[in-house]
Amino acid sequence: MELLLMGLCISLLGLAVSAAAFGAATRSAGPAAVDAPASAVSAAPSKFFLDAEARRPAPAQTPAEVLLIQLEQHIRLEQAAAEGFLERPTAESLHGATSSRWAN
Amino acid sequence: MTTPDTDLLAGLSAQDATDLLARGRRQRLEAGASLFQLGTVAAAIYLVERGRIRLTLPIHLGGRSEEVAVEERLPGQLVGWSGLVPPHRFTLSASAPLETDVLELARVDLEQFFGARPGAGYRVCRNLATIVGQRLQVVQAMWLREMQRGLQRQNG
Repeated sequence: MELLLMGLCISLLGLAVSAAAFGAATRSAGPAAVDAPASAVSAAPSKFFLDAEARRPAPAQTPAEVLLIQLEQHIRLEQAAAEGFLERPTAESLHGATSSRWAN
Repeated sequence: MTTPDTDLLAGLSAQDATDLLARGRRQRLEAGASLFQLGTVAAAIYLVERGRIRLTLPIHLGGRSEEVAVEERLPGQLVGWSGLVPPHRFTLSASAPLETDVLELARVDLEQFFGARPGAGYRVCRNLATIVGQRLQVVQAMWLREMQRGLQRQNG
């Protein structure tokens, strides 16, 4: 009977230690572990999708109206840059930067 | 505005300009009204007299077709030169973002006028070529800028 009780106590103690260790492990690895793969993916260089992402003004959940406004603003800036080139045609003025986020 | 201030009529005598404009038909567009649609037959050109005309092209966005503004035309400017240039189909859609007055000049009337007064017809066509040529140069420059960016993206 004492042996049985001793075994039971040791089992409970082991269970408690395991539960504590598991809790600590899951707490420390919570959000960081979830974020880690995403940041690893976004940090990885891509020849294809990163450029497309960079040109897109916002992710897919951005309202269409916002995208349209940004696109029209980009067109206005590009037209202004093109007209500036026609007024003073040089290689520099042809490829001069604008403040459009879609052009950078 | 006095419509002879338009870019299309530069260089015309006052009499020719007056007579040409007398062949036009004034239209008032309420805010949001459409002037013409992409792909439709272009039987006339339009001079903006008051307000503003917004020229748009369709773009697919989020599974829908949206109209994106590519140009705006102000008083004194010409809209819809496809009315004078074959194949006489509008290549943009035009609408009025605010209450706007335009003068519609039908191609058939313009051709009659140009036939009767070739000097005036020459000046109008020269002005039209200037307008179209400027737009071509702007679009060409925009296209080259985009090509340059494409090359930069491709080369990392």
